[in-house]
Amino acid sequence: MIAIPYLTALTTFFSYVLLFAFGQIRDIFRKITGWYSSNNLQGYAPICLGLEDFYIRRLYLRIQDCFGRPISSAPDAWFDVVERYSNDNNKTLIRTSKISRCLNLGSYNYLGFAASDEYCTPRVIESMKKYSPSTCSSRVDAGTTSLHEELEKCVANFVGKPAAIVFGMGYVTNSAVLPVLMGKGGLIISDSLNHNSIVNGARGSGATVRVFQHNTPSHLEEVLREQIAEGQPRTHRPWKKIIVIVEGIYSMEGELCKLPEIIAICKKYKAYTYLDEAHSIGAVGKTGRGVCELLGVDPVDVDIMMGTFTKSFGSCGGYIAGSKELIQYLKYTCPAHLYATSLSPPAAEQIISAIKVILGEDGTSRGAQKLARIRENSNFFRSELQKMGFEVLGDNDSPVMPIMLYNPAKIPAFSRECLKQNVAVVTVAFPATPLLLARARICISASHTKEDLIQALEVISRVGDLVGIKYFPAEPKKQQEEEKMLKLE
Amino acid sequence: MYVKAVRPTDLNRNTEWFTYPGVWTTYILILFFSWLIVLSVLNCSPGLAWTIVHLSHFLVTYHFFHWKKGTPFADDQGIYNRLTWWEQIDSGKQLTRNRKFLTVVPVVLYLIASHTTDYQHPMLFFNTLAVFVLVVAKFPHMHKVRIFGINADQ
Repeated sequence: MIAIPYLTALTTFFSYVLLFAFGQIRDIFRKITGWYSSNNLQGYAPICLGLEDFYIRRLYLRIQDCFGRPISSAPDAWFDVVERYSNDNNKTLIRTSKISRCLNLGSYNYLGFAASDEYCTPRVIESMKKYSPSTCSSRVDAGTTSLHEELEKCVANFVGKPAAIVFGMGYVTNSAVLPVLMGKGGLIISDSLNHNSIVNGARGSGATVRVFQHNTPSHLEEVLREQIAEGQPRTHRPWKKIIVIVEGIYSMEGELCKLPEIIAICKKYKAYTYLDEAHSIGAVGKTGRGVCELLGVDPVDVDIMMGTFTKSFGSCGGYIAGSKELIQYLKYTCPAHLYATSLSPPAAEQIISAIKVILGEDGTSRGAQKLARIRENSNFFRSELQKMGFEVLGDNDSPVMPIMLYNPAKIPAFSRECLKQNVAVVTVAFPATPLLLARARICISASHTKEDLIQALEVISRVGDLVGIKYFPAEPKKQQEEEKMLKLE
Repeated sequence: MYVKAVRPTDLNRNTEWFTYPGVWTTYILILFFSWLIVLSVLNCSPGLAWTIVHLSHFLVTYHFFHWKKGTPFADDQGIYNRLTWWEQIDSGKQLTRNRKFLTVVPVVLYLIASHTTDYQHPMLFFNTLAVFVLVVAKFPHMHKVRIFGINADQ
């Protein structure tokens, strides 16, 4: 549930209508001027219809300099952003050799493993010298090293499941495993805000896909009851399998999933559950074991747990954890395991070392410190932003916090102003989010110090005043001081 | 003055923006302001201005709702390439609130336009033709119907 000021909704719609109208007029001119230039591809069908890339050409390219900024250092708390300029109004961007040192509020660097770490990096370099950067083969041919075996055992242990399988790419984990698990005659019920990889995998599986309202267990129950009663479309036979897919932390909202209620409903109607913990593994929970630990759900109750190593572990790849039979089945059917190149050995070593640091097995308490720091940082940042009057989404303890912008013109304004003051934020607009709800998404990391956060808060407050996104009344400072005086007395 | 927005379960990004609060008001306000603009630029009678607004509304909505097919995004892999926007909204369910609203707006515009021009020809003829075409195009029975193969795919 988001509360939008009504006037903002009206002005946002009007802005989009204006942008759409200008885009259409430009397209008409383009067709007229292009009529006279002939091409020698007569009789061939066009590669893309003019309508398909309308959004990219007329809306995205105008503010292209806010997306895809190249960086030239490791994405730690502070990093170097390469400056770019454009001669033709953002259609092409040219890199300069100047860099600016900015505060990084956009990387998914939840535990600070993105930059070189005193425990992980020497081990990674050693394993690169021993095993070489790539195995140059798929897992079934010659790509399974002892590191892969150790990693799978480590991940299964960490997550709390009997066995696990790892893949080289996080997106592929979803889009190649779902077609193998479900087929025609199955039913996939997924949350309406699930990631594109899940949507792609569900579409590729051939099963029927139904969507339930985001994080609403009552609607999930309604959809389940309706679908079980009706059966398969047209034949009305019973479904072969039903699987419910939810995510741990939704990356665009920062919200935690209502896992206990959803698991209870799935057990009641005997549907399988698939939990995608891409953002929550390693970042939430007392020992970093993800959403299950945070919400008190036994990992035995979730049938398939999926996650990625890109966010909290500073590496690449994804995993699926489940029962031994499930993992054995995946090992001989999943194309990402049979044909795709296996995970790079230094990346595997980075994950193993990162897990050891988190669990404290390296002999220090750095893991526990990192987890405590990210929790404190996220809660501090979120409460300060809300006090200033911004509309911030997401639950407490979640390191992802989107600040609502709404108007399409405020997206480049916020992004460019923050960059001028050396804070790099990621802004997200349609089509990754709903049309009205454009936002700037901030990801807090354990490597941010308190001074970094305070500086970021000052910059964001100044830019927020300039751009006009403090939609809620700010808590007046006098009231805060009065509260402090009362506490002292 | 805050409204609550419930996230829709529509996966088609081309049409899910229509389910948010404030769309109907924006639509009506755009029509009203375009009437004011036509009136101030052309310096004509209010009736003629309403007729111009009605006819341009007909052209614009017919083109975008009932003629253009597909979506402006390439990554839904063309599953809506045979459907016009009208056939895509509300996932093809007929007689929803949005569809009823969109059917009523051209009729109300027609009534205003013909009333303010005192039902004179030739404006009445064009207005009637426009509203007839628009309302028939929005009937539930016309879902996915292409008369005489006009606008059908190859």
